[in-house]
Amino acid sequence: MILNDEQRMLRDTIADFLSREAPVEALRALRDADINLAWQPSLWSGLCELGAPAAAHAEDDGGLGFGWLGMGALMQETGRTLSASPMLSSAIHAQAVIRYCGSPEQIERRVPALMSGESVATVAMQEGNHFHTLPHQTRWVGNTISGDKTLVMDASATDYLIVSALDAADQLCLALVPKDADGVTLHPKKLMDGRQYASLTLRDVEAEEWLTGETLASGFTRACDEATIMLSCEMLGGSRELLERTVAYLQEREQFDVKIGTFQALQHRLAKAYCELELAAASAFHALLAMDSGEPVLSEQASKAKALVGDIFQHLSNEAVQMHGGMGVTDEMDIGLFLKRSRVCNQLYGNSAFHRDRFARLHGY
Amino acid sequence: MTDINAFRQDVREWLEAHCPISQRQPIVREEQIWAGSQSRFPSDDARQWFEAMRDKGWTAPTWPIEYGGGGLTADEARVLEQEMGRLKCRPALYDMGLWMLGPALLTYGSPEQKSLHIPRIVRGEVRWAQGYSEPGAGSDLASLSTRAQDKGDHFVVSGTKIWTTRADVADWIFCLVRTDPDAAKRDGISFLLIDMASEGVSTRPIPLISGESEFCQTFFDEVRVPRENLVGDLHGGWQVAKELLKHERKLMATMESITEKVDVGLIELAKSRLALSEEGRIMDGDLRSRITNHLMHADALDHLNDTLFRGMKAQQLDPALPLTLKYIGTTEQQRKDELMLEILGADGLTMAESDSPELERMVRNWAYNKAHTIAGGTSEIQLNIIARRGLGLPE
Repeated sequence: MILNDEQRMLRDTIADFLSREAPVEALRALRDADINLAWQPSLWSGLCELGAPAAAHAEDDGGLGFGWLGMGALMQETGRTLSASPMLSSAIHAQAVIRYCGSPEQIERRVPALMSGESVATVAMQEGNHFHTLPHQTRWVGNTISGDKTLVMDASATDYLIVSALDAADQLCLALVPKDADGVTLHPKKLMDGRQYASLTLRDVEAEEWLTGETLASGFTRACDEATIMLSCEMLGGSRELLERTVAYLQEREQFDVKIGTFQALQHRLAKAYCELELAAASAFHALLAMDSGEPVLSEQASKAKALVGDIFQHLSNEAVQMHGGMGVTDEMDIGLFLKRSRVCNQLYGNSAFHRDRFARLHGY
Repeated sequence: MTDINAFRQDVREWLEAHCPISQRQPIVREEQIWAGSQSRFPSDDARQWFEAMRDKGWTAPTWPIEYGGGGLTADEARVLEQEMGRLKCRPALYDMGLWMLGPALLTYGSPEQKSLHIPRIVRGEVRWAQGYSEPGAGSDLASLSTRAQDKGDHFVVSGTKIWTTRADVADWIFCLVRTDPDAAKRDGISFLLIDMASEGVSTRPIPLISGESEFCQTFFDEVRVPRENLVGDLHGGWQVAKELLKHERKLMATMESITEKVDVGLIELAKSRLALSEEGRIMDGDLRSRITNHLMHADALDHLNDTLFRGMKAQQLDPALPLTLKYIGTTEQQRKDELMLEILGADGLTMAESDSPELERMVRNWAYNKAHTIAGGTSEIQLNIIARRGLGLPE
């Protein structure tokens, strides 16, 4: 990723902050904590003080003006340290949904608080075990909403939920629902990546309000594509960390009286993985450039980035475990944490197969 | 920015005015314009297009004007490339001298060598062949044994080179030869330019699995080569060779764009030949997914090239990155060839008695492109380099 001086500065500041406040051990501690925390409050307030949730947006829009390239670099750093925060669920996705699907009044009322981190929201979209962009069973009937949602990020710690549903005419609608509203049951779950998710049961829930923007369907797609690209950047960071840690291990570990990194069988596997990683990175980089240049539709870019990054993240996590040998399967090593995060990330916003299929549909085959 | 936009506008107008419509079709091998004394033009349009580009120096856009080149900056050359791509202009000239020797000569050649050879390369007057590999020196190129004995004002060269592309019609050949048999492998090699018309030079074409014989074996039997044809220092040929290999690998990563564009895109080919659902989707989900995977990779490769260019300009280039291009580009090309063959089904099983020249070309390319992961440093050698120099794994 080729960054300008300001974006590099942002990246270095964030990297420095995360290495102090939220190294991989912090995620481990969060995972092992007795109480169910979605994130460490000090980490989130620190990120907010640095302006992370508002990094991408233009200054006259209340942002810091680093562009999406800057935000992508930031997300990569959070991927390197496996930092748990509502950056993706709230600052990026929920904010984008309101921005693209809300009325001007709703945007004005809700977006600034999401950008400062004062308020935190999450989008409840997935139904069942497999991802689809649009809902198929959550319904808006007689002014109430009913249905079941899965894999809702950070749900237990957010102020409100954005719930996707279909109306009587099968059109997408988006409801804002406080998580303690009548008829909402939250089933919090800590997944293998140590983070908080929830399944959601909604029965005849009266929405606080509905998003009433004019381009709801295309706006929602765009918001999901932006989140997909940002998640891809986080995954890219995780992939780079895995590659670097594995190279370092191969440079140091000795067997048969030589460094195991001298073995061609291992060298070629890592060299190939590096090539795949750079291809995936180039794809993500171009998706960010497309965002910054204001391209109206990002679906193809998002699908390419997510599929390629998703494949290499999973592949590298497997290779990293294998090349760390017996140590790779111990919980003492961090490699396992990356392995598990890669599997969760793969499912979020659709796995590689989903995005390959979406790419094919976009091209009419 | 304004300047480059004005330049783009000029290029666009110039190309519109000078590139005949017939030269905006995808190139096929038979119509490539190769340099040299044996060169011929398939049509008047082709000649006109070549001459216009030659006179502009745009056969070698970034080379210095004093040697007949275009004198363009990297940015301008990229604009030219983009605009030619946009209009689908065919490459105006094909030559190893243009792609490989020229850049190395500009770095390592003497002033006399540059003023003699560079303008002739730009004007397409000389076709160059490459004399690197030998029957006993492939991946281990530095073990080459073609001997050049130093006789003061000349060398006497004996030995044989293999995989010399179209040496049978080449005018000159650039060769790696051993000048000091007692030195360590890489320290006893020199870089020589040899006139193919010299006494004692002969060639033999090698039939390939694609049915073609682009490659030759070239024999040198006590060939006398003047000393002024030595490029770089005596015994310093490995330096020159490495510089040249960089250009060869860069070239091979983008082989499809200069050699032969297959007229039909993969999606169109698949949709015209495979069973489709009512919504027009390819029914074979496995093939569909593999086609998608290739298309995503092909796009990503374009993006990677673009990343490299931007990185170079911003002086933020990861030095390991350029090392990956040859491996990625040639591997992906073969993946595409394999998909084409699968999509063609039974039609893809003949190279000689095909119903259409286009089909035949696709199948021949499938076989021909197998050479791309071998020539210019095999994929395995590339992976060694990426692992050691790129990732820093120990030797």
